Amino acid sequence: MGAQRLDEVRAAFLADIESAGGDAAAVENIRIRYAGRRSGLLLDLTAALRELPNEEKRDYGRALNELKKLVADRLEAAKSGAHTRQASGPGFDVTLPGLTLPKGAQHPVHLVRQRIEEIFLRMGYDVEDGPEIEDDRHNFEALNIPPDHPARDDQDTFYVSGGRLLRTHTSPVQARVMEQRKPPIRIIVPGKVYRRDSDLRHSPMFHQIEGLLVDEGVTFGNLKATLETFLHALFSEHGVDVRFRPSYFPFTEPSAEVDITCIFCGGSGCGVCSRSGWIEILGSGMVDPRVFEGVGVDADRYTGFAFGLGLDRVAMLLYGIPDLRQLFVGDQRLTRQFA
Amino acid sequence: MKFDLEWLRQHIDGDTDADTLSEALTHCGFLVETRDPSGQSEIWDVEATTNRPDVMCHRGLAREAALAVGARLKALDTTVEETGEQAENLASVEIQDEDLCSRYVGRVLRGIRLVESPVWLKERLERCGVRPINAVVDATNYVLLETGQPLHAFDLDRLEDRTIVVRRAHKGEVLATLDGEDRKLECDDLVIADRNRPVALAGVMGGADSEIGEETTDVLLESAHFEALSVRRTSRRFGMHTEASHRFERGADPLMAPVAADLAARLISQLTGATVSPGRIDVCPRPWQSKEMTFSVSGVSRFAGLEIAGDEIVRILEALEFRAGRDGDVITCVPPSFRGDIERVADLYEEIIRHIGYDAVPAVLPILRTPPGRRHPNWELVDRGRRAAVACGLTEAVTYAFIDPQVDQRLESWPLCPGPSIPLANPLAETQGTMRRSLIPGLLAAARENLNQGESDIALFEEGRVFSNPEGDCFEEPEYLSVVLAGGGLALPGRDAVDFLELKGVVEALLRDGAFPEVAWQRGGSPWLDEAEGAVLVDGDGGVVGVAGRLGDDEAGRWGFKQAVYVAELRLQAAAVEPPLPRFETLPRFPAVWVDITVEHGAALSYAGLEAAVRELSDQLVTSVSLVGRFTGKALGPDRVRTTLRLVYRHAERSMTQEEVNAAQDVLRAALVERLDVTI
Ligand SMILES: [Zn+2]
Repeated sequence: MGAQRLDEVRAAFLADIESAGGDAAAVENIRIRYAGRRSGLLLDLTAALRELPNEEKRDYGRALNELKKLVADRLEAAKSGAHTRQASGPGFDVTLPGLTLPKGAQHPVHLVRQRIEEIFLRMGYDVEDGPEIEDDRHNFEALNIPPDHPARDDQDTFYVSGGRLLRTHTSPVQARVMEQRKPPIRIIVPGKVYRRDSDLRHSPMFHQIEGLLVDEGVTFGNLKATLETFLHALFSEHGVDVRFRPSYFPFTEPSAEVDITCIFCGGSGCGVCSRSGWIEILGSGMVDPRVFEGVGVDADRYTGFAFGLGLDRVAMLLYGIPDLRQLFVGDQRLTRQFA
Repeated sequence: MKFDLEWLRQHIDGDTDADTLSEALTHCGFLVETRDPSGQSEIWDVEATTNRPDVMCHRGLAREAALAVGARLKALDTTVEETGEQAENLASVEIQDEDLCSRYVGRVLRGIRLVESPVWLKERLERCGVRPINAVVDATNYVLLETGQPLHAFDLDRLEDRTIVVRRAHKGEVLATLDGEDRKLECDDLVIADRNRPVALAGVMGGADSEIGEETTDVLLESAHFEALSVRRTSRRFGMHTEASHRFERGADPLMAPVAADLAARLISQLTGATVSPGRIDVCPRPWQSKEMTFSVSGVSRFAGLEIAGDEIVRILEALEFRAGRDGDVITCVPPSFRGDIERVADLYEEIIRHIGYDAVPAVLPILRTPPGRRHPNWELVDRGRRAAVACGLTEAVTYAFIDPQVDQRLESWPLCPGPSIPLANPLAETQGTMRRSLIPGLLAAARENLNQGESDIALFEEGRVFSNPEGDCFEEPEYLSVVLAGGGLALPGRDAVDFLELKGVVEALLRDGAFPEVAWQRGGSPWLDEAEGAVLVDGDGGVVGVAGRLGDDEAGRWGFKQAVYVAELRLQAAAVEPPLPRFETLPRFPAVWVDITVEHGAALSYAGLEAAVRELSDQLVTSVSLVGRFTGKALGPDRVRTTLRLVYRHAERSMTQEEVNAAQDVLRAALVERLDVTI
């Protein structure tokens, strides 16, 4: 037992002196801890000698003396800078690797989320939140998607008990906010969403961010300017052009699909953009009056626009991550690239 | 949807080149996704959104393309040569359920020969992804792809009484459809029947019994209009998605039935040498009603944020086959029958802005009329936790929110288990069958994956929701923050394996940076954790704030871990919504005196208990109590521990003398001996 304790103290001491790296204050703390004259660990070890059976005393005593010498030598060496990892002294090699300190990293999806939040906070938008387990009314009906609407086919839904479902988009939060608040409203809603779909380009869980502006006299030109401003800021390192294409979403009218110039080929056409030079990035449109009516906003007085995009997709584009599903296995080699 | 470029161009006046056409379609809302050369033509894959069944055919898309490139849509030639006996003497049609079928047009052809289609026709079908079968079927498919009107050819002699009855199915009726399946019908399925039995699922698929074959001579060609909802329900229930159902579900053109019947009759006659019997059988219990709509030029201009000329609006609407007129600022229009999607003024605004071009609308930022943006407190809370974890050196994982029900079951005993679990009604996989009640299983899977990839130092965290359904309609999704350390953990200098104290250091940092309340670490608490190295973190009211410890051997074995794995989970909602503002404390002006005290005690007295007693019993000038070292060993005897603590004495207004400190220490020693079973 006694000898084992000596070994423990030796190992701990060597580790401590190593990690001190020659820092004078750290070395002094170590000296106090081990060789302090009032309470150093060596005192405890010496005290323990007296209580050992006689036949063990000799070996223990010799080992203890060796340890005391080691401690003294190493402390001396550390103080005088003779140790190899000592950070000073003549002939010191400045090319030695520094100590590796722990460094954390956020997931790229959350980096992108925060980047987008910053842009919209500066434009006066609130960042809102809502439940991931939703009811049919907020996820579909309030957004002008009645039970037999074909748009439900595109959003294959996970159901839980009690008619509840996992939200298929962040849009239900729009409906919830409009039910509770009077315009003017400026919000964005980031969060997890779920669709029953899993292949190379689809993950059953992914992330969206949604935006909504409702006020008097909001125009389609306002939508264009807002999204152009946003996309120029989001892809500021790439310097993209923005294109608006008519499209269809049940909750907006007119609707616009928004493309940016392909960041991989600069718009000249490549495999990623199907040789079109454009990449689809965002869906948007003027809020359908039926959505306003469903949530109690005066559709004669107010107009507004809404938009939504996939955070995972933006992260993949922005940072060049090729595979969506790679994002959700917790591979720290991937995430640490974003530290 | 696939289109044949040459077929499209056949409907457009003039000679617009393919690039211009493709660009123009994309700009007015029909993205040309891919273009593949095919013979003398190209196959275009064009995005036709679900609200526009009218463009799910060549003529419909050509209409949009013509307007977009400034050309005219060619008129359709629908002339048919007719001979022989009147069609209405050869067959009859009766609609019993008028609510589901507003019109049924029939054409009769006699003297059919079942030949193969010519190459040009087969090529066009194949470019659109439709397999050629025989001239009759091909002709109906051709007209469908051209006009969007689904058609069906019946062998007239196999219809009992040469009669068509459009009715709801009787419960228990069975229909063998063309795909070889026996379909058991329900009362709300609309069927095409003859005098006795169903012969087709209306708008979805024909039946095998009345299918045309080698012996067929006379054909009844069906061109009808069925209600979208009824077709959709039937096709969904049987899982049958056909070219016909795809269009009826989205709303077919109620006026196209007679036109398509004529086109198909002429084509079949040309291809097979059959004669077309004079006249259409046309039963139309509910004729299409047009509706007039009005809006103002100034209204649409204001909405767009662009001055639009009234005449331009009329020109666009007319090119889209609306009837339109202008009286000053007021536009009056009637949408064509194939535009069922146009219901309100907003729909008209869309048509106009779409064809003016989104590019023409100037971009103007909206006026800011809201106070500066703020983040929802929940986002502040979870990101504070995230930042704290990153500051500790942890790497963030995002894992699926659904987990294996077998693993979930073991979470019943997890001290932070939020309540009854929520199974998915339709999971993608059995192993993703239930919503997670802890982030730990996801993190363990991630840790294992990293170890498999050859990583040796695992230090991951996840922030996310867990889910429970405490009762009925009540669903909860609290936010958790969880950690897994394995192998070398944070790889701190001088350490080669993670241990409990490393985990505890991380958790304490998260608690501090996350603005959690003070917690007590209580030993034990979960079958997931090692008995000795497991702890539940409890706040002052006894509420569980977190769990931390080494994964127990049983659980580690289930996950296949060979090395020690440490996990922790915190309930983020236990933290303060707004962390308290830091307050400055006056810096000390006089030096401190520190002194160590070594206490020998039984192992049953925990360090926390000892430290608490020392704090309580020591002089009020003691500003800190910290651990210097602990010693156990044979020398002390079994279950005995020797603990050295360092006390720092400081007086705010003067230096303290050693005598004062010694006196205070004497008092403390006496008090400790009296209070606890210790020797000093
Ligand atoms: Zn490209």
